[in-house]
Amino acid sequence: MSPDAPLISNLSVWENVALIQQYHQGYSGTTAHALTLQHLGMLRCESVAMKRNPELRDEERFRVMLLRAAMMNDVLVIDRPFLIIPNMADAGFMFENLEVLENLFTECFIFDYESHRSKYTTYDTETHRT
Amino acid sequence: MTDHTNRRDTALLDAPEGVVETLLYAVTILLRIFSRKTYNSATRAVLTNQIYFTSVQILPLFLIVSVLLGTLFIGMIFQTIKNLGLDEYLGTILIGFVVTELSPFVFVLLIALRSGSAINTEIAVMKVNRELFTLSVFGIDVIDYLFVPRILNGVISLVLLSVLFSIILVISGFLFSHIIFDMEFSMYSSLVAHSVLFSDMAILLLKCTAFGFCVTFIPILYGMKTSYMLTSIPVSVLQGMMRVFAAIITVEVLSLIARFI
Repeated sequence: MSPDAPLISNLSVWENVALIQQYHQGYSGTTAHALTLQHLGMLRCESVAMKRNPELRDEERFRVMLLRAAMMNDVLVIDRPFLIIPNMADAGFMFENLEVLENLFTECFIFDYESHRSKYTTYDTETHRT
Repeated sequence: MTDHTNRRDTALLDAPEGVVETLLYAVTILLRIFSRKTYNSATRAVLTNQIYFTSVQILPLFLIVSVLLGTLFIGMIFQTIKNLGLDEYLGTILIGFVVTELSPFVFVLLIALRSGSAINTEIAVMKVNRELFTLSVFGIDVIDYLFVPRILNGVISLVLLSVLFSIILVISGFLFSHIIFDMEFSMYSSLVAHSVLFSDMAILLLKCTAFGFCVTFIPILYGMKTSYMLTSIPVSVLQGMMRVFAAIITVEVLSLIARFI
């Protein structure tokens, strides 16, 4: 996921996520819809399913983009996450959502600016505390 | 990173340049239309939505235009035929001019104005917003997912709407033949049936298909030619729609030449 790869604006949130499953897993629209709602529920954002990209808050957009990327069921590469969630003080929000979706990807790599290093070092992944 | 993605984006999604490259691109799309691999649940959903927006949503306006224009036109033509004493050519004029020439031409203009401009803007906005790039990053072929359903919809919609308009014209024709010429239905149907030539119908079908392809392929092409600046969107729509108009005239002229040689 990357700020350079935005959500498709003429598709709703669920369609953005389901599209990946329809293409890569060959699911029908109904199956992909049900699975997407289930995953959005896991991320506690099923209420945004029918919304479109411009209607989303930064955190909601991040969760949806993360879920869409995780749908590839492969290595997850996160590119400059703090450009999508600029108001987050640390990486806690991102790691919490990654934990929820950990079964959907094999490995995760995060690329970010050196200046954002402190946002990662201040968050303890064991205790989930800053 | 952005420079890198820009370069990759350019390599993957730039519109074809030059006549040969454009023709090859058109052939690629045509081949994809006939390939089973192109179609999955996502492409079918896009195709269904496109047909709904182009053919179904337009139906109320279409029916009003068809009935008003068709009835007035047929009334005027039949009255002129009667004044000139050309009663025996009624069927030939109805089928040879009104059904095969007027009907597709009116509706290709309507679809070009309504759907062609919308497709051009949509693709241009997707290019500027980097959404075409997003699709390619996620391994979704833009030709299969975006272009094939839109082009197929253009062809299907144009053929269906032209056939529907022709049916309305033929029905109007019967009403006016009864009012103006006091003609019975059996005679009218016999006149019309004898005027229908297989070659004309084949040319009509080919013409509708070519119209449908042009009013969707050219806007897609010009949408892709948009640069990454918002200000280039209106320029791309303007250029695209001018080319669509030129293509419509070209197809019309070619079909006329094919009919009369």
